[in-house]
Amino acid sequence: MAESRTGPPLRCPRRGLARARVTVSLLALVVCGCIIREPKSASQSRPASARPSISTRFARLTHAQWTNSVRDLLGVSVADLQSGLRNDPRPAGFAFDNLAASSSVDDALARDYQRAAAVAAERATAAPAQLERVFPEPNGAGDAAGEAFIRSMGGRAHRRQLDSDEVEQYLAVWRAGASAYPELPERTARVRLVLEAMLQSPHFIYRVIHGQVGADGNIELDAAELAARLAFALWNTMPNDDLLRRASLGELDDPSRVREVAARMLGDERARGVLLSFHAQLLERDRLSRIAPSKDSFPDVSEDFAAHAARESDLFLDYQVWERSAGYSDLLRSNETFVNADLAKIYGIDGSFGESFSKVSLDPERRSGLLTQVAFLASHATSRDPDPIHRGVFVARRLLCQNLTAPGNLPPLPPANGRTNRQAVEAHTEVAGSGCAVCHRRTINPLGFPFEGYDAVGRERSTDNGLPVDTQATPTIDAVQKPVRDGVELSALLAESGSAHACYVRQWLEFAYGRPATRADAALIERVGERSRLGQLSIREILIELVSAPEFRVQRAEELL
Amino acid sequence: MKLSRRLVLRGAGAALALPLLESLGTRSAHARTAEAPFAIFFRQACGVASQQTTSEIGPEPERFWPRGTGPLTARSLEGRALDELAGHAGRLLVVKGVNMYDFDYGDGHARGALQGLTARGPVVRGAGGNAEADGESIDHRIGRELNPGGRDSLFLYAGPDGGWLGGACISYRGPGQRRAALRRPRQAYELLTGGDTGGTEEQQALIARRQKSVNDLVRAQLQSLLARTDLSQHDRQRLDLHFSAIRDLERSMLRLSKDEERRLGDAARYVESTDGDDVMSLVRLHMDVAVLAIASGHTRSVAIQVGNGNDGSTRYRDPDTGKHMENYHYVSHRRRSHDASGDIIAGADLQHHKVDRYFARMFEHLISRLAAYPSVSGGSLLDRGVSVWYNDHGDGPAHGTSNCPFILAGSAGGFFKQNRCVRLASGGATHARMLNTIGSAVGLRNARGEHLDDFGDPSLPRGVLDELLATSSS
Repeated sequence: MAESRTGPPLRCPRRGLARARVTVSLLALVVCGCIIREPKSASQSRPASARPSISTRFARLTHAQWTNSVRDLLGVSVADLQSGLRNDPRPAGFAFDNLAASSSVDDALARDYQRAAAVAAERATAAPAQLERVFPEPNGAGDAAGEAFIRSMGGRAHRRQLDSDEVEQYLAVWRAGASAYPELPERTARVRLVLEAMLQSPHFIYRVIHGQVGADGNIELDAAELAARLAFALWNTMPNDDLLRRASLGELDDPSRVREVAARMLGDERARGVLLSFHAQLLERDRLSRIAPSKDSFPDVSEDFAAHAARESDLFLDYQVWERSAGYSDLLRSNETFVNADLAKIYGIDGSFGESFSKVSLDPERRSGLLTQVAFLASHATSRDPDPIHRGVFVARRLLCQNLTAPGNLPPLPPANGRTNRQAVEAHTEVAGSGCAVCHRRTINPLGFPFEGYDAVGRERSTDNGLPVDTQATPTIDAVQKPVRDGVELSALLAESGSAHACYVRQWLEFAYGRPATRADAALIERVGERSRLGQLSIREILIELVSAPEFRVQRAEELL
Repeated sequence: MKLSRRLVLRGAGAALALPLLESLGTRSAHARTAEAPFAIFFRQACGVASQQTTSEIGPEPERFWPRGTGPLTARSLEGRALDELAGHAGRLLVVKGVNMYDFDYGDGHARGALQGLTARGPVVRGAGGNAEADGESIDHRIGRELNPGGRDSLFLYAGPDGGWLGGACISYRGPGQRRAALRRPRQAYELLTGGDTGGTEEQQALIARRQKSVNDLVRAQLQSLLARTDLSQHDRQRLDLHFSAIRDLERSMLRLSKDEERRLGDAARYVESTDGDDVMSLVRLHMDVAVLAIASGHTRSVAIQVGNGNDGSTRYRDPDTGKHMENYHYVSHRRRSHDASGDIIAGADLQHHKVDRYFARMFEHLISRLAAYPSVSGGSLLDRGVSVWYNDHGDGPAHGTSNCPFILAGSAGGFFKQNRCVRLASGGATHARMLNTIGSAVGLRNARGEHLDDFGDPSLPRGVLDELLATSSS
């Protein structure tokens, strides 16, 4: 799971190149200024003839996808094996854990697959009932039985029918099974060794795109490949037999039918975990694991505070997406949430609460969605004070898809010395004419200061260092400066913002497609984002739109050798 | 050689009954590798407590570097962090004046951590915490060119999975191609030993047979995919890497003792810890495995990274009070904040020095381990290669590019001067030359078969630093 990069705050460009924000195309790279990635207007959309995005033909399964697929293929629990697979590197600049272009199999991972496959195959053949599940053929351990098994199990593992050469290769393994496991019954031994091989096969480890490159340089996924892509995107696991059957019957041949299939898939329990995983990564949930509120400043915060905050966020998202079929605006506007006794104190809710969580309605004048919930506020704070810089950077980067340059060597932020936290930050970062002011004054600080009404654990506050807290700011959103009174009003502004909705769609696209968005995706992002802004699409429907789009099915080959 | 034959490397400090390396046999590639020079890189972040003036503390005295240059003596090292290595002074080369280049990484930590072993700038300028290095790292190049079969060099990591710069970040296959690190020493150990630590010869032969059957199939499938003519360069590289990673069972003749193997297993509890004691225990176990990997000829290069991009979570214990200090990154900033806000930490300069001493002691563990290992050609394993303790930065709060510590132990078979502190005569960006020099010491050569001069950004001065060579009279 890709984690956010925590650490020094962003400062303005070192060389003072930009005086104001620069709005450019969706994918332009940083030159120096604060903002560069905003969705273009409709008039700037790519022409219909624009080429699709480049993707690898060999997207390696994430470790979660590998273990989920083993579970579904063999019907045994293997979740414990995931931690035995060596950690993937965290590619920079991609928010999620599934960037296909950076995933590879090196010495260490090949060794880990070997070990994990052996354990999984052993579990799948350990008892007669389990063996029966993976190998229902009753006719002994001969080649004919082996071939039937290989064609059946191999078809599921490879997510397509095996050709005769592949069957022969697996038969060689089948034959070697008896001597490889002489202590086992012949049938068991052969099944076990073949399963080990299938779980290490590149056709299992990668989501292989077999199609030829067309004359236009594009590769279109066939029905089985599309089924696999849908399954890994929406379920985080391999396609089941029903999905592959539907693919073989042509149900994935046109976008409207793909929509129907995707909608059905999103009704599956497995999709819930995918949506939670997406939001946890988008919201930099990993930061919660590293917070340490000061015992001096917050003596009543429990040891489990961070876990409770994460739980609240999950319950909120699950409720919104599944119970209320919410849209993105609802995530930013809802005043409902879930609290236990620990969090009820933070929110100032009277009543009787225990360890378990209950749904509550908060004062809509004071709380509004994810950005005013404890998880975001506490994970973007120091041990004592709220952190308006990182709160602002989060909103700019993750919710508005603005790209910010980071500074080199940071000058230290002086102590508040009788000032408010905001005054200290302003004095340090908004000095007229300084390079810092370029980003901080117009972009970062106005997106962070509205949350100064919440302290380092997310509790409301009206004073700071004995002075009144100032939460008013004038952020620039959708290229317009608009004054807001506090975090609630900023959340409302974001909920109505075309940039924010487009950014949310863009984040979903990157997660579902396993690659960065490109210029070729701009029109799709803009179209779906606008419908989301207008309240025409729920979060689930956003996902359906993305996986039924041509951009999901057609990719451009990387440059050939 | 029979699989059951085990040679046990006992812990440093114990009575040594160490195998001579010729016992590996002279015909195998491993045996040849086991006699060749090597490099182990040990990375520290956040600079050192050198002489500097900070706005937080004011004038800070020199607590790291030896006094002057020339031979290392008790007097030159006294009171400095390097006096932790005084027992090995005869094998040290302390290099002053290694300056990294001020590439526009957009963040000081990115500039130091990502440039440290690559001598390259960023793929995208100014990307800060989202930066990637634009080239291969020297540890990987050593493995790629010199390891048997081009086997990956080892990349070991003691730090959080994520955080600033994404956690493990110093080793690269190529531009933007960050390598995966191993966090659990047991994982690396099993790469060397084949994983199975018990069983009869017959049982081990069975394991080898099973793996070979499966490997033959996986290789055939990969070859079939590689035979396609319409693969992109990246896809071909991806499959090539996978293909080269499919190896039949290879079992090192060298093993740790049973007690040490048990400790490797127990190390899992250290992996997620931010307690400095645990981190140091983990690093020492990584070092034990690294030495074994070198001794057995598994690799000629190892990189060991401590802490993520800014080492922003490890909390070392103050040896004087027994209490944990603030995390190392705070200490290096002299403030209670990752972001240069927060209160000044009184005495942070001295605390930084104490952390430097901890790193020195970890490096000393590595040196002792290598020194305890006899080499066929005489001397010890330590003498045969070079171990490099280096830092992303030259100093604490400024996190500057100048005078980044490079402390070398071992002569790499007589390549480097020993028992010296040398200040590089050439000014400017000398860091790329430092890496070219280390690469040359290990055996890398340019296209003409001469000492390395093609590593790192082409715009930087490259080639060997003559003043570090044993053959140099300067």
